[in-house]
Amino acid sequence: MSTSDIAPDARDTALQEKALAERLASLWATPRGILGALSTVDHKIIGRRYIVTAFIFLLLGGVLALAIRIQLARPENRFLGADIYNQVFTVHGSNMMFLFAVPVMEAFGVYLVPLMVGTRNIAFPRLNAFSYWIYLAGGITLWAALALDMGPDIGWFAYVPLSGPQFGAGKRADIWAQMITFTELSALAVAVEIVVTVFKQRAPGMSLDRIPLFVWSMLVTSFLIIMAMPAIMVASTTLILDRLVGTHFYNPAEGGDVLLWQHLFWFFGHPEVYIIFLPAVGMVSSIVTTFARRPIVGYLPLVLALFATGILAFGLWVHHMFVVGLPRVGESFFTASSMAIAVPNGIQIFCWLATLWDGRPQFRTPLLFVVAFIITFVIGGLTGVMVASVPLDTQVHDTYFVVAHFHYVLIGGAVFPLLGAVYYWYPKIVGRMMNERLGRWVVALLFVGFNLTFFPMHILGLIGMPRRVYTYGPEMHWGGLNLFVSLSAVILAVGFVLFFYDAIRSAFSGEIAPENPWGAPTLEWATSSPPPSCNFERIPVVSGSYPLWEEPHALSVATGLRINRRELLVTSISDASPQARESSPRNSIWPFLAAIASTVMLLSSIFSPWAVVWGSVPIAVTLIMWFWPKGTPEDIS
Amino acid sequence: MVSLAMLPLAACQREQRSLRLDPPIEAALDDVRTMANGIGGAPPKVYVALGRPYENNAYDLNEGKRLYDWFGCTGCHAHGGGNTGPAFLDGWWQYGSDPVSIFVSIRDGRPAGMPAFGRYVTTEEIWQLTGYVQTIGAYSSKTAAPSRNDEMQSRPSENRAPATLGALQPPSR
Repeated sequence: MSTSDIAPDARDTALQEKALAERLASLWATPRGILGALSTVDHKIIGRRYIVTAFIFLLLGGVLALAIRIQLARPENRFLGADIYNQVFTVHGSNMMFLFAVPVMEAFGVYLVPLMVGTRNIAFPRLNAFSYWIYLAGGITLWAALALDMGPDIGWFAYVPLSGPQFGAGKRADIWAQMITFTELSALAVAVEIVVTVFKQRAPGMSLDRIPLFVWSMLVTSFLIIMAMPAIMVASTTLILDRLVGTHFYNPAEGGDVLLWQHLFWFFGHPEVYIIFLPAVGMVSSIVTTFARRPIVGYLPLVLALFATGILAFGLWVHHMFVVGLPRVGESFFTASSMAIAVPNGIQIFCWLATLWDGRPQFRTPLLFVVAFIITFVIGGLTGVMVASVPLDTQVHDTYFVVAHFHYVLIGGAVFPLLGAVYYWYPKIVGRMMNERLGRWVVALLFVGFNLTFFPMHILGLIGMPRRVYTYGPEMHWGGLNLFVSLSAVILAVGFVLFFYDAIRSAFSGEIAPENPWGAPTLEWATSSPPPSCNFERIPVVSGSYPLWEEPHALSVATGLRINRRELLVTSISDASPQARESSPRNSIWPFLAAIASTVMLLSSIFSPWAVVWGSVPIAVTLIMWFWPKGTPEDIS
Repeated sequence: MVSLAMLPLAACQREQRSLRLDPPIEAALDDVRTMANGIGGAPPKVYVALGRPYENNAYDLNEGKRLYDWFGCTGCHAHGGGNTGPAFLDGWWQYGSDPVSIFVSIRDGRPAGMPAFGRYVTTEEIWQLTGYVQTIGAYSSKTAAPSRNDEMQSRPSENRAPATLGALQPPSR
């Protein structure tokens, strides 16, 4: 957006506030119209899309969960039937893990991290746009497949040989594997962006010990993604090769190994749990700090706990495989490491409790969600320590005890903080407040409904009900508890419906939100609600961990940035001293077109290996156009 | 556009899994009418009305492959390469390559060693076997066809057909 009436080296120091705001708005704006919407690279617009899409997938997955509960409400039920039931529970699991939980956490990172570190856009903004379109394509693929009666029916873990060429008939397993490829691609893209944003684009003065805890958690999560996701991409690609081309990665008769799948999958699958959980931890830390009205207790232990969790997460995947037959040393090692991870998580819980204990907590809806989280997550953590021991795991493996455990840690550990985060950051993202009274109802209904739904599943598991069964006989005497669970699920569903109602209604008629409605200390609250397209008219300079508490009236700012191109500050990794002014890419339609080309290639490759060859040509064309050199220097130090 | 709109419908039927056939339909599926020499003929009306499911339904083709092993077809025909029985992979059909001929071959047997399996397997299973056996000797690949087994590799997988190039030479025997 170079305009002739502005000197090529014009700086923001020369302009008054109003003129600067107008100038930056025209420089960073997303044009109206469908072309503008498809070519935007604004991290806030993309983050918002990500969040909304992920919550739509939550809603759809919730409908499937209710269908499952109707089917299991009484013995010998014929509501779904075996084949549809297999598809439904597989799509429910895959959807919740790959299309809801991971993307929604990344989405909050995409929206909040640049604001929290005080920069104007995420690093690699076009890659960010690309990642959203790829994610959307993967989600549509999975749900369209279910609608066409060809949804995956192999569980969200897709063990071979069930998903392999011999027993996975049709294209169902291929749909699953390709959906994985889509979501991993988008996750990896976002992870790289967040790492670079956190390392190189922090506001001047935001040294490592002043980074907000949510940003730390997103940073650790991104490293987990970068290290864990390649394993599953290898797994899903080799699975497709086995199925389509007839390779022998998972064929024992030709030197392949069935167990290789389980190792590859869980080497990703266990860190995946922490990819979902760690951002939630960051959200909890943000909410606790703000509503306890005091700096968090144990900033350093909390950051170290994030790293300890992240590192340990890669050392305990085998506890998903205790019953496949392992050497004793292996079992002991992975039992020990599984129990060890309770230590950093325990440290975090005590830090939050101490902060609340010592502060003056205001029990608004976000903090109520945190309280619900702490109770539920501790119960889930306790059953986690139980199933970490081999003898107990051998007993309850593949029973509803495990189903209860992982819903406790995933809903209790991630969804409750997430909903708290929605109530907390909604005013910043939408510019309006959500309803406090409805919010309290939502917390109460979800907390009660959740515990009534999932606690009895522990008992069902202990009395022998296996996972993944589509029905059971009346002589098993599981009917009563299952009916109770199904009825309780209605309470849970009402809570979610009320949440969605509140979120949609507040967007139109909520109370207008001020800049900083909660009196929070971090930088995202230093700009208007919702933020302007450039985030900050002048880039803030930070001199402490809680800038808005330390300088409540006027924040120090950095000046001297150019106003005839999108420009932001690059700072050093450890103490965030300014290093260079860098241009940020402009809007472009090519990431969208590249995503379309990639989608065509990936989906066609389910049917013919030649699609990889011919499909790579349009991808190459779109990538060349995307990266077409501009002939201008990118950064000036 | 029309073909694009039809694509999901085709895919739909291709992926359907009927775990239990209606008894009247199964009875009607047995009603093939062959030519006098037992080769070629008209399939049952219901077979056409259903959209020739056993030739393009992924699940049925896969079931056919499973039954091919379970009922000992490999004993004589191996994995399509032939042994005491004729090969399928060479694309040469002694009694016709159409579904009706193959169905009758399995149900009623053929001279020189092919037993009648009609007494041992259901009509639906014969149709599943028919679809699968036809895939082995197909001249072009079907995306709905099953893929390799978790066994020693004896031939390219069915979905990568044609398994042999330039077949069409009559077998030497």
